[in-house]
Formats: sequence, structure tokens, C-alpha cells
Amino acid sequence: MTEHALEAAKFIDLTWMNVSFLFIVGFIGGLVSGFIGSGGAFVLTPGMMSLGVPAAVAVASNMCHKFPKAMVGAYKRFRYGQVDLKLGIVMAASATVGVQIGIKIQEWILGKWGEAGSNLYVSLSFVFVLITVGSYVFYDAWKSSKVTDADPVPKLARRLQSINLPPMIHFKTANLTISLWFTIPVGLLTGLLAATIAVGGFVGVPGMIYVIGASGLISSASELVIAFLMGLGGTVKWAMAGMVDIRLTLIILAGSLLGVQLGAIGTTYVKENMIKIVMGSIMIIVAFSRALAVPQYLAQLDLISANQSALSFMNMVSFALMCLALAIGAVIILGSMIKAKRAELVNRQVSETYENV
Amino acid sequence: MSANSETKKKKAVLRTVMYGAVSAAMLAAVFSHSDALTSLFSLGGIYAALPIATVFAFSFAHGAFASNLWSALGIEATTKKTATRPAESVPRPAQRPRARLRMSA
Repeated sequence: MTEHALEAAKFIDLTWMNVSFLFIVGFIGGLVSGFIGSGGAFVLTPGMMSLGVPAAVAVASNMCHKFPKAMVGAYKRFRYGQVDLKLGIVMAASATVGVQIGIKIQEWILGKWGEAGSNLYVSLSFVFVLITVGSYVFYDAWKSSKVTDADPVPKLARRLQSINLPPMIHFKTANLTISLWFTIPVGLLTGLLAATIAVGGFVGVPGMIYVIGASGLISSASELVIAFLMGLGGTVKWAMAGMVDIRLTLIILAGSLLGVQLGAIGTTYVKENMIKIVMGSIMIIVAFSRALAVPQYLAQLDLISANQSALSFMNMVSFALMCLALAIGAVIILGSMIKAKRAELVNRQVSETYENV
Repeated sequence: MSANSETKKKKAVLRTVMYGAVSAAMLAAVFSHSDALTSLFSLGGIYAALPIATVFAFSFAHGAFASNLWSALGIEATTKKTATRPAESVPRPAQRPRARLRMSA
């Protein structure tokens, strides 16, 4: 009887508001994902939780939508010649190990400091990683917008590529050769981060750009392969624990499959560094969002004392900032697509005019 | 050329409707039995295959619907951009100034 009641509490009642919210957030998350190779997950999981979905069900249902979305996105970008399949698979191999390490760390922290401690760890990881990596990505995007269209290989990557440490692997699509040993830390950290904050791509994509030396376009595309493989593995685990709410997954998928393809199409219209601009912007805003959630966990651990209404207000702003991050990403992506499409139409009209002269 | 793109668009519209129907049918099937299916799909263990298979099947149908929808709306990838990076220029050996024959006027 108790078990049945527990089962009932696992799955929320669906209203039209819930459905619309999940569909729209799924669409925008997919759009951003298709464009920068990752994203959406960090809004969807807290988004579902704010609708009353238990944390485990939210994470599981999100993951169950993530791998097919990544598959569709990866396939689309593969047809555009942007995916380096070998790079994705090699990275996914070490990422899978990184996920296991990440899970073990989470379990240890949960055991020692409970749920508040775990939430604090996750939020601090968010803030630290996103601020450092996000600022660098943004700075790099701003720097490269000042030079010509050419996108040179970053210095660190060039140095690492020149080190001959067998086994050396050649990645055909990415057009680079590098020692396997340098791909391992990037993969491990990607998996570790994925297990911690659900978005491995925030380390994976910059890692592939700055450490391995693949272009922004190829890194973000190949990240979808990693996301597919990691997502599938994670989903199997969660599904076996009976945590997937298929209704939530399908609604989110309905939106995100539309979005991811649009995002993938968008990458063919914009300059290379637009991917970095979108990524950097989202990362920095989300970092602020998570920073605002930190006081709540510090208070729960009795590390600080805080006014309850102030904490609720900060949590509200934190969630709003997160949605804002996604929305801004979507606006930049769609805006640059519309701009590029208009320019293309004008060029076509001009050339057609001259043909008839 | 224009006739070709007209046919392509018509095909995309047809495929959008077709895959859209399949996708809608799948969603209808799941949501009309949502309570029963949600419980069944969360039994765990070997039943894990059910949500995973469903999600794969739905993604094929809905993914194809989405792809054709964008094509039918005229939103397609542009072929102008290439994914390759410009090749790094090989540093040339320093040129020694060659001896030149000077002719005085």
C-alpha cells in the first residue's frame, strides 16, 4: 500500500501549463544544444523540479530525452560534415570513466554532508567551472572577432599536437593529429562534470577547442556524439532503477527535436566565433544563477544564518536567470540566423539582377 | 531549377504530414494510456528496455517530421560554409638575397 503511494508520488499530474512549459523549454534547450553542442539540461532538470517532479525522476527523464536528441543533432551535423566521429568516440570512452568517478564523488559527499552538502558541491562546481571557462571562451570569442575570418589553432593545442607521445591518433574531419594521452584528461573532466552538473559539454567543447585544437564547429558537433553515448549509458542505469517518467520525456523530446535541428541548421549560417559567443554568454549567466542558489545551501548546513524570505527571493532570481540564459542564447542564435539568411537573399537578388542585365 | 525546388518542397510537405501523423499517433497512444504506461515503464530492471525503445522509435518519427518541417518552411542549411579550417602556412626557409647583375647605364 505504502509502495503504491510512493509510486504515485513519483509522477506528477500533468496540466496544460506544465506541458507547454516543458515543450517550450525543450525546444529552446534543443536549439542551444544543436548550436553549441550542449545545454538545455541544466534548465530542464531544475525546471522539472520546480513543477514538483522529484529530483531523481527529473534527472532520469531529462537524460532519457538527452541521448536521442543528441543522436538526431549529431546525425544532422554529420551530414553537414561537422562531426568527427572518431574524436567523439575517443572522448566518450574516457568520459564514461569520468562519469563513474563523478558519481563516486557525489555519493561520498552525499554520505558525509547529506543532500544540502551535495547541492552545495554541485552549485559551487557550477560557479567555479562556468566562470573560469565561460570568461575565457567569451574573451577568446571577442578577441577573434577583431581579426580576420581565419580561425587559427590555439597555442596550447598547437604545442600539444607537436608532442610525439604514442599512441598518436589522427582525426580526419578535425584535421589534426594528437597523442591519445592528451584526449584522456579532457574526456575524464567532461564525464566528471556531466555527472556533477549534468552538462559535460561546458568542459568538453572548450577542451576540444583549446587543448586538442579542433575548430569550434567540429568541437560542438562532435560533443553531440559524446552526449549521445554518455546519455544512453546513464539512461540505462536510471531506467533500470525505474525513474523515467515517459510522459515528461516525450513532451520535452517533442520540443527539443524541433529545436536541435534548427540549431544545427543555424551553425551553417554563422561565423565560427558565434558559437563561442553564445556558449560564453550562457555559461556566465548560469554561473551567476547558481551563485545565487549557494546561500540557501550554506544556510541549510548551518554555515551561515539567513532570512528565509531573502533566501526565497534569491532562489526565484536564480531560476529566472537560468531561464534568461537559455532565452538569450536562443535570441542570439535565431537573430544571427535571420541576419545571415537576409544577407544571403540580398546577394541572390543582386546576382540575379546582374544575370539579367 | 525552380521546378526542381518546387518538387523538393512538395516532397518535404508530404513527408512532414506523413511523419507528423505517425508522431502524433504515437503521442496519442502514450497519453491515452498514460497512467498504465508510466507505471509499466518505471518497473525497473528488464522493463528499462520499454522507455528506451519508445524514445528511439519516437525520435525517428518525430525527428523526420521536424527535419521535413524546416525544409518545407524553406529553412535549410546553407552550403556556402565549409567545416574545414584554413591550412596552417608552412614557414618558408629564409630567402637569402640573390646576387643581382647590375647594369650601369
